Amino acid sequence: MDLRAGDSWGMLACLCTVLWHLPAVPALNRTGDPGPGPSIQKTYDLTRYLEHQLRSLAGTYLNYLGPPFNEPDFNPPRLGAETLPRATVNLEVWRSLNDKLRLTQNYEAYSHLLCYLRGLNRQAATAELRRSLAHFCTSLQGLLGSIAGVMAALGYPLPQPLPGTEPAWAPGPAHSDFLQKMDDFWLLKELQTWLWRSAKDFNRLKKKMQPPAASVTLHLEAHGF
Amino acid sequence: MPSYRLQTIRPMAFSVALHPAFLLVVLSLKTSRSEVLGEPFQLTPEILTVSTESKLQQVNLQWTVPNLTHQELKMAFQIEISRINTSNIVWVENYSTTVKWNQLLHWNWKSEIPLECVTHFIRIRAMVDDAKYLPQNSWSNWSSWKEVSVQVSVAPNTLLIFPDNKLLEEGSNVTICLLYGQYLYNVSCMLQKEPIHGEQLDSHVSLIKLNNVVFHSVSGTNIHCKAMNATKMIFGTVLFVSKVLEEPKNFSCETQDFKTLKCSWEPGVDTALVWSQQDSQSYTLYESFSGRRELCDHRNSHNWQITDDSQETYNFTLTTENNLRKRSVNLIFNLTHRVHQKAPHDVTLENIDARKANMTWKVLSRGNNYILLCQIELQHEREVIHEHNVSVHMSASYLFSDLEPDTKYKARVRCADANHFWKWSDWAQKEFCTPEAAPSQALDVWRQVRSENGSYVVTLFWKPLLKSQANGKIVSYNIVVENQDRLSESEHYSVPAPALGTQLSLDPCSYKIHITANNSVGVSPESVMVLSNDSGHEEVHEKRIKGTKDGFHISWEPTSGDALGYVVDWCVHSRDQHCDLQWKNLGPNTTSTNITSGAFKPGVRYNFRIFEKSMQQKAQLLEKQTGYTQELAPLENPEVTINNFTSNSFILSWPSYDSDFQSAFIEGYHVYLKSKEMQCHPKGKRMTLPDYWVLCEYEIKDPEQKAFTVENLRPESHYEFLVTPYTSAGQGPNETFTKVMTPDENSNMLLKIILPMTLCVLLIIIACYWKSQWVKEKCYPDIPNPYKSSILSLIKSKKNAHLIMNVKDCIPDVLEVINKVEGPKTQCIVSGNPHNEDVSMKPPSSVPTEDGSSGSVPFFFFENFTYDQSAFDSGSHGLIPGPLKDTPCQLGLLTPPEKLLNVLEKDYMKSLAESPTEETSLIYVSQLASPMGGDKDSLATNPPMPGHCSEYKMQMAVPGRLPSLALSENNSLTSEILLGQGEQ
Repeated sequence: MDLRAGDSWGMLACLCTVLWHLPAVPALNRTGDPGPGPSIQKTYDLTRYLEHQLRSLAGTYLNYLGPPFNEPDFNPPRLGAETLPRATVNLEVWRSLNDKLRLTQNYEAYSHLLCYLRGLNRQAATAELRRSLAHFCTSLQGLLGSIAGVMAALGYPLPQPLPGTEPAWAPGPAHSDFLQKMDDFWLLKELQTWLWRSAKDFNRLKKKMQPPAASVTLHLEAHGF
Repeated sequence: MPSYRLQTIRPMAFSVALHPAFLLVVLSLKTSRSEVLGEPFQLTPEILTVSTESKLQQVNLQWTVPNLTHQELKMAFQIEISRINTSNIVWVENYSTTVKWNQLLHWNWKSEIPLECVTHFIRIRAMVDDAKYLPQNSWSNWSSWKEVSVQVSVAPNTLLIFPDNKLLEEGSNVTICLLYGQYLYNVSCMLQKEPIHGEQLDSHVSLIKLNNVVFHSVSGTNIHCKAMNATKMIFGTVLFVSKVLEEPKNFSCETQDFKTLKCSWEPGVDTALVWSQQDSQSYTLYESFSGRRELCDHRNSHNWQITDDSQETYNFTLTTENNLRKRSVNLIFNLTHRVHQKAPHDVTLENIDARKANMTWKVLSRGNNYILLCQIELQHEREVIHEHNVSVHMSASYLFSDLEPDTKYKARVRCADANHFWKWSDWAQKEFCTPEAAPSQALDVWRQVRSENGSYVVTLFWKPLLKSQANGKIVSYNIVVENQDRLSESEHYSVPAPALGTQLSLDPCSYKIHITANNSVGVSPESVMVLSNDSGHEEVHEKRIKGTKDGFHISWEPTSGDALGYVVDWCVHSRDQHCDLQWKNLGPNTTSTNITSGAFKPGVRYNFRIFEKSMQQKAQLLEKQTGYTQELAPLENPEVTINNFTSNSFILSWPSYDSDFQSAFIEGYHVYLKSKEMQCHPKGKRMTLPDYWVLCEYEIKDPEQKAFTVENLRPESHYEFLVTPYTSAGQGPNETFTKVMTPDENSNMLLKIILPMTLCVLLIIIACYWKSQWVKEKCYPDIPNPYKSSILSLIKSKKNAHLIMNVKDCIPDVLEVINKVEGPKTQCIVSGNPHNEDVSMKPPSSVPTEDGSSGSVPFFFFENFTYDQSAFDSGSHGLIPGPLKDTPCQLGLLTPPEKLLNVLEKDYMKSLAESPTEETSLIYVSQLASPMGGDKDSLATNPPMPGHCSEYKMQMAVPGRLPSLALSENNSLTSEILLGQGEQ
């Protein structure tokens, strides 16, 4: 950015203005109800924790599936697993989402993913893997509860599961076990992508739920930053 | 997913309906005729259905024999299977069975190639093979070929892999087939991480044969393929390779209570696979006599309830089974022979004393005739020290004897059926501890005696009693010292345990020392030692011995025949102050022993003393022996000092080593001398080194010799030497040589001459200095005394007394006081100069001085006193006879030398002018050529030129025959005065 002397004076004036107005910022003086901010922060922290936990779990589980699923460059097309909620979304679409929709999508996705994950746990062969999966399911259940808490705090209703849409991801008799492994791979991958997306979602929501900070930012922008 | 379509060619409906009736009639006619005629007849089988089981890759064939009229007929069938086309026959199998009328026959075949991949064809023919009839020597006609295929449709750009989810056993073979969809080519496949290659069967089918497949994971073995033109797409299948089911091992059953049979076995590996492909193998127990079958609740054991008390014999079959295999083991036994007795109960130990204890126990009995065999064990510190078997009916007891006092024991017992031994019961055990008893063994004691301040210092040592000897915890050691010389005197000491020695200070007498050990129960037998007056003072010869890696062999000569025994003692740490005395007691007939110890170290000298114990318990030192387990080369060289250092020799000397610190016996010393171009002594060994250096090696074979003279050295030369001891293991370390330089040959001589000479000269100088004045007076006085001069003697000899002018004879012309100075103020400023005082010490005796000291007079007057003497002597001129000496002093300070000279000149002129000159022998000439008058001022304002001075001197009264030497003396003196003035 090309800053001129005038800009520097502008910045200084702006900073002074900000400092002058700081005592008047309601957020800094607020002492009553903390609002949804802390619960959003907690939810954000939980997504980051689950990301970390999933990294370890996925490593173990993909080794259990064997090659090529545990190979680092394995990137198959998403053929099966159509019922899995897709985390990837167009950036413009994502930006256009409102808070309610954003939270609803998160809630629905994790509801489905949790269900699939429990199915995965039932099939796991080793006790250690079952333990890890059960621990992760518990954490994911916690995330779901946190999202529900945020939605309640913001006054959004929880999405009701439509009858017949309850995911039933038990492999049929004719289901190829190779495709089953592929579905497991995609389940873990989607889960990871959802956690990334959720982290962004909650980060955005967190910033949005801090109006005083936002007004200060706008004020700074008005001065030509 | 592929859809399966079973295609079988079925007979036409009408023929199905018509055929039996028609054929039945015809055949019955034919058969009856054949039977009658005894001719062979042909029955052509008819295939009813051909079905497939795709997952099992199995073809099921159903057929009938339509023309069969007999109720039963033994027949043989031949079935042919061809692949791809009918001419490519891949399987021929004969199948014999008894065929009943109207029976539907079944046969199946498993294809090694998945049925989805290739089409198969099947046909059958038959032959009567019944002994009741004439043998048919030819097969019937073949049935028509039936096509067997599983139709699958492959979408473009996709690949189907068969079989899918195949379950197979480790080590088996499998053929994988790939069905290519349209537009798909160049497919490469991997088995887990290894590439696999197949053969192309046709344009859209290829086969991959895998032999001897191995188990990878419970989640199966992945086969995945990629096509070159669709690299993102991945196709695959999972082979579920199961481990081979193992037969259960060590299958056995037993009962403890005749109510339950506990059967157990080793199950072998778990063959379970995930995704419900295969569960863990099941175990089933079947008893043939009762006909009961039970699925086992554990994979390695099962409890079988005995429901029928009367059943004695059991025949068990244990079967394990998984999806692929079944294995069985059988076991038949009599129940009474498989009784695993319960552990004995109520085990108690009674009447325990120091040496014995009684154990009792009870067993579970099954009747009066039931005898048990029981095994009893006694353990001490986990080691079985006693074992015994006894027969038991209901209860029993056993007495343990020969126990050790104060010892922990564990007694245990187990039992088994005595009649039909099957297994020991579990152990029933009890721990107990025997009480203490008095120590049973006398202490092994020894002593060390040394004199100190006229008394004995006796250090007593004893070894701790073994646990078996102590019989309890030793509380203290009692020492009684009896004075043998004064029997009434005895002293008692008590040393608390765990001390293993004590020190006593005794008067020089004979003593008898009694030592006992006490525990809580009693006292040990006593150990006795006798100390005589000379204990500790014995002097014997020390002998050298050679040790081995393990220790030392010590032998000695007994001195008396009635020795009670011998004691060998030594110090473990001979170099330390605390030597850790060790000793070994030996029997009376022993004359040698081996001393071994893990503490012996190489290069450490050990000193052994051998004592003979007399019958009176008195120990007499027999021998001293010293040696090393291993001799080592010396670790350090001695510190060498150089003595008698001369230009061509010096003596090297060094101190002796402490013998206890020698790493081996020193056998001698090597002296090395190194220099350039040196000649070795004939006794030395010469070695030439680089750079013209020569090394001489001298060997001193006497270790007591501690000096060596190095001779025949060159003066002012560099030498280097090293003295190192040598032992049997080698010589000392190769340290740096010490450098020396021999001095100059003459330096000593010079020293001898120069030093006394210097001293003499110094003495002379001091003496001269001290007597300098005297010498000066003697040799060259400042004012030559004419009377003392040799000239005088010369004159006298010539009897010419007038040659030397007497001052009294001179009549001064004029005497004028130039400057009058007050008497008290005449102190000369330079009077402090001792030299000047010395000079003035010799004024002419006639010079009047106020205070008797001449002060600085000579500066001004010593040249012309001769002339002024008369003036001072005569007071007729009225001149103030002030201290003349003062005047020049002031002058010296206030006037320059020219003025001073002027003043002097004036004085002389006056004196010359006023004194009456009567001496004829002297020629007096007026000193001033020009008339000066008596004007004092003109004198001051007209200083004479230096030329006047010379003129004046020229005009001095000089005897006609005065030698020029005298003149020159005056001249020089004058010059001195001037110089002195100038200096002031």
